[in-house]
Amino acid sequence: MSGVSLEGIVKAYGAVQVVHGVDLEVQEKEFVVLVGPSGCGKSTTLRMIAGLEEISGGDLTIDGRVMNRVAPKDRDVAMVFQNYALYPHLNVAENIAFGLRIRKTPKDQIDSQVKEVAGILGLTDYLERRPADLSGGQRQRVAMGRAIVRNPKVFLFDEPLSNLDAKLRTQMRAEIKRLHKRLGVTSIYVTHDQVEAMTLADRIVVMNDGRIEQIGTPMDLFLNPANTFVAAFLGAPPMNLVNATMIGDNLAEFNGQTIELPDLADLKGSVGRAVTLGIRPEFVEVADASVANQVKIDVDLIETLGSEALVHASLSDKPFVIRTETLGKLDLLDNVTGFTINPKLIRVFDAETGVALPGQVHEQ
Amino acid sequence: MANMNLYSRGDKLFVIVNMVLIGLFTISTLYPFIYITSLAFSSGFEARAGNVVLTPVGFTIEAFKYVLADPQFWVSYKNTFIYTVGGTIMSLAFIIPGAYALSRQQLYGRRFWNLLVAFTMWFNAGLIPFFLNMRDLGLLDSYFGIIIGFAVNGFNVILLRNFFESVPQSFEEAARMDGANEFQVLWKVYMPLSKPAIATVALFCIVSRWNGFFWAMVLLQDEDKIPLQVFLRHTISTLSDDQEFGTSLLDASYSFETVSAAIIVCSIIPVLIIYPFIQKYFEKGILLGGVKE
Repeated sequence: MSGVSLEGIVKAYGAVQVVHGVDLEVQEKEFVVLVGPSGCGKSTTLRMIAGLEEISGGDLTIDGRVMNRVAPKDRDVAMVFQNYALYPHLNVAENIAFGLRIRKTPKDQIDSQVKEVAGILGLTDYLERRPADLSGGQRQRVAMGRAIVRNPKVFLFDEPLSNLDAKLRTQMRAEIKRLHKRLGVTSIYVTHDQVEAMTLADRIVVMNDGRIEQIGTPMDLFLNPANTFVAAFLGAPPMNLVNATMIGDNLAEFNGQTIELPDLADLKGSVGRAVTLGIRPEFVEVADASVANQVKIDVDLIETLGSEALVHASLSDKPFVIRTETLGKLDLLDNVTGFTINPKLIRVFDAETGVALPGQVHEQ
Repeated sequence: MANMNLYSRGDKLFVIVNMVLIGLFTISTLYPFIYITSLAFSSGFEARAGNVVLTPVGFTIEAFKYVLADPQFWVSYKNTFIYTVGGTIMSLAFIIPGAYALSRQQLYGRRFWNLLVAFTMWFNAGLIPFFLNMRDLGLLDSYFGIIIGFAVNGFNVILLRNFFESVPQSFEEAARMDGANEFQVLWKVYMPLSKPAIATVALFCIVSRWNGFFWAMVLLQDEDKIPLQVFLRHTISTLSDDQEFGTSLLDASYSFETVSAAIIVCSIIPVLIIYPFIQKYFEKGILLGGVKE
């Protein structure tokens, strides 16, 4: 069981606490992505798992063994760094073999393992090259090769793709996913890019300000964000958040307009209650003047991306974005006045706490 | 030279002034070397008469014959080798781990230790206390005294520490994740990455050891242990005394000037030979490609 368990993990630098009691169970062979904005504590958490940062409080268990005071080399984890951290004085083969040499693995075994890994990662033709003679993508592959050659219990990735250009990032993302399928090693991956999180993860851990906001599968987090932070963080473009006031059991009002909401027990008899409505850009239907019961918006700009378009508008003086198909709708897009939405697709949050009201579960 | 049009008149003037200054500097550095070499190959009479300016006058190798025939020259030459090789190895053995430790953020009391090393660059004990200290430690007139007594130099430690600090920390972290202990991180990662800095420090050590004169003169009385520079000093004083009293053993084919010059030329040769080998380590961009900033 090569699972990783974090119980009440705390990191403090002197009096300043940056990670506040993180609890997380990573199952064997699972691919978990820690995602959040800069400074949310995701990298620090990963570095504590790696052993590169001391744990100030709580327990870290890997494969059933408490690792708080165990040196990085004895944790049997491998890490891929954001800046590759390849040894510039060694060639690709020597870089990949470094960890095996340190562990005094027999030479013929090193050679065969390096060859195997180079084959998996498409590096066979580059084994004699130095890192300086490789492209960014190749360097990142070498960094991964160095991690997988040791066959560790856990892989840790610290924003490994953030230095690559957009095209290469997409390509490497797919390679990482394939590699995980092939090797089946428990992986913990840190990124600030929610697209990477959505595409790679079995489960996503959204972090903010040193705390976990929500843990779940990508689709669960997309459809059922636990709070406005998660709602606004995941999705591209993110969920629109509209402040409204309840005027009936399932009717809300904002800026002189009304909108029908899902039937929620929590909203019964709550006239006057302030709520925040979460509306995914993909869940609305654009409407022209002929459509009844529409929510009116002020269209500012339409970005056409080919098969789809982004309608940038404002609602209650706040930005509101709609993502819609373009095919067959080009005429409509020229005359957008508002939108309609199935009430069941609206997510309702408490305006004060930002927490989603109970009883809202969208099945995937 | 169409490209020259890319440069303004001011730029061109700047380049010309630079080249003139560099040229003057090169000549001023090179001339003493040429002069001493010419002097060593000139006849004693011409040297005494002050006729040697740029090239040997009355070419002869008598001065070299005189120097090389003196067994004391070879003894001191051997001693200088011992002090230089032993001293440089000893210095690097202390300076590299010391500088590495001082460069580590996790070193307990790091600021204090760094201050302590820097302190020795501003203040030292002074001649007499140092001499007494060496005497009390039984390190007078000993090879080991000269080698160990000057093994660590604060400037070199700080020079190397600064280089180690400039190596991205992720190399250390990657090596630790790969299973390396502190010593392996230093030996297998930091030292290969720091070759230019280590070569610089090594060259400083070699040159200062090779040219070491003052402390050797103070601490060594035994003729069998003196280095080349002290031997040179002895030779100069002996020969000039002889000449002053009109009892010179020297004939016109060599003089105290040409013999001194010959010793200097002999002492320069090893440094000239070593330098090209060390120079290749002064490579730029050894860290290139290892990390993406």
